[in-house]
Amino acid sequence: MIQDYVMQTGINILLAWSVYIILLSGSLSFANGGFMAIGAYVSAVLTVKFGIPLILAAALAGAAAFLFGIVVAYPALRTRGLYLILVTVGITASIKVMIESIDYVGGIQGFTGMSGASPWHVVTLVLVVGAALWLISHSRLQRMLDAVREDELVAASLGINVVHLKVACFGAGAFIAAVAGSFYAHYLLFVRPEDFGILPSVFIVLYVVLGGMNNLWGPPVGATIMTLVPEFTRGLAQWRPTVFGILIVLLLLVRPDGLLPFRVPTERRLRNRPNNP
Amino acid sequence: MSALLEIRALHKQFRGLTALDDVSFDVAQGELLGLIGPNGAGKSVLINVVSGVYAASAGTVWLRGTDVTSLPTYQLARRGIARTYQNIRLFARMSVLENVLVADQRYSARPFRTLFAGGRREDCAAAEVLLERVGLAAKRDALAGTLAYGEARRLEIARALAGRPRLLFLDEPAAGMNELESEELAAVIRSFRAELDVIVLIEHDVALIRELSDRLVVMDSGKVIAVGKPAEVLADPRVIEAYLGAEEADG
Ligand SMILES: Nc1ncnc2c1ncn2[C@@H]1O[C@H](COP(=O)(O)OP(=O)(O)OP(=O)(O)O)[C@@H](O)[C@H]1O
Ligand SMILES: [Mg+2]
Repeated sequence: MIQDYVMQTGINILLAWSVYIILLSGSLSFANGGFMAIGAYVSAVLTVKFGIPLILAAALAGAAAFLFGIVVAYPALRTRGLYLILVTVGITASIKVMIESIDYVGGIQGFTGMSGASPWHVVTLVLVVGAALWLISHSRLQRMLDAVREDELVAASLGINVVHLKVACFGAGAFIAAVAGSFYAHYLLFVRPEDFGILPSVFIVLYVVLGGMNNLWGPPVGATIMTLVPEFTRGLAQWRPTVFGILIVLLLLVRPDGLLPFRVPTERRLRNRPNNP
Repeated sequence: MSALLEIRALHKQFRGLTALDDVSFDVAQGELLGLIGPNGAGKSVLINVVSGVYAASAGTVWLRGTDVTSLPTYQLARRGIARTYQNIRLFARMSVLENVLVADQRYSARPFRTLFAGGRREDCAAAEVLLERVGLAAKRDALAGTLAYGEARRLEIARALAGRPRLLFLDEPAAGMNELESEELAAVIRSFRAELDVIVLIEHDVALIRELSDRLVVMDSGKVIAVGKPAEVLADPRVIEAYLGAEEADG
């Protein structure tokens, strides 16, 4: 039981961070449910049909999603704001339809035979991704991303290669979502395309909105709350989406920037770093 | 010897509107060029095209003999073109010091390397000197969005200079400033002249432009209507008429 909580919370934290890292460059992505699907199916095929060990399969699935993310990012990131959101929704929708039409992975029936994911995998991954994000948040890269998020055009006219940064963030988000998807699939033992539709993508974004998107701690807080609260209010099961909808609206009225809205200037972080001789 | 910056037959079309119509002029090494003209003349559009914010519809921009017309914005910045904006565009949620630090091109050229800078403390000295020179040292930790108008304009100049540019385009840096503030601004601009190859200054304040510019380019309705020494150009009947005409049209 506790294992289930750790597993679900950990995976949702990773998914929330996968959206957060794309948001670092100012793009809101609803494609991460799709990237998660790529991870789940690619890794499942690799372990079940080719006998590749889970960790390697997850890494390969992440790499596949990374490449896919970069390839779609170039055209997708030509759009902004609402249009970009629609494009990312489209990415998720088409990945789902694509998987449904591939008989090799069971089509709409789903795919099974995976096993072997443990909470330890996910906890380790949360620590690794968290450390990477911490490194970013204490670097000049974070400051450049902040600039891109505030005003792309000005960032570019200061010599920042905006497209490069945005595409890299998109790829990194796809990678994290896909690795999370890999462990998700090998924990559930059975996946169907409908596990990865638009709704999961929306939920992932809501974790980030709830927790706050201005620092790396907001997304895991949002993900944890949204994962555990419904578990402890099982009676409300079928009202879950409704309750969440209301919660989010209320929260945004009170705290429009999420639960943890603060942003620490990168300059202060870098200044306070211990001085290595 | 050819000029440092050569603008040749530049055109910019916005659907029906011709914002730049066959604009050609040169800017020489060491020159401070004033760019003037009535509202809507195309001055800002020209800067936007040269700095890569807008794509030219036709024509060429040569920088030290290289065609840079279709380079992306960040490439132009790396070739030494920096600018400020008529409608101030600071990173409002970043601190004053960060606005300057982020413009350091040693890092933006290799953004991912900055992840592994080790435990070294960041060197802010150069940025702090810049802030000092524009009179913002005391504001270094304030959020840029909280600055007063004149301070924000000076921070834009400091940010533009933080990338160690060779060419600086200032789009109405004194707009909205009182007389004292624009005097201080003139002193700031003068103090940076020796460090830059070229400054192009757009300004409506004739006294300021006369005082600072080596040469003037006057634009009206997307065309260059006069080029020359400030005293001559400002006495040119066509220039006077362009301004008077604009003033009458304004009511
Ligand atoms: N992005 C745009 N889309 C369409 N038209 C534009 C755009 N930018 C500028 N224009 C038009 O181009 C013309 C020249 O504008 P520009 O901003 O260069 O004038 P300006 O000389 O800078 O005037 P001001 O002194 O008022 O700043 C104007 O008619 C303006 O409306
Ligand atoms: Mg203008």
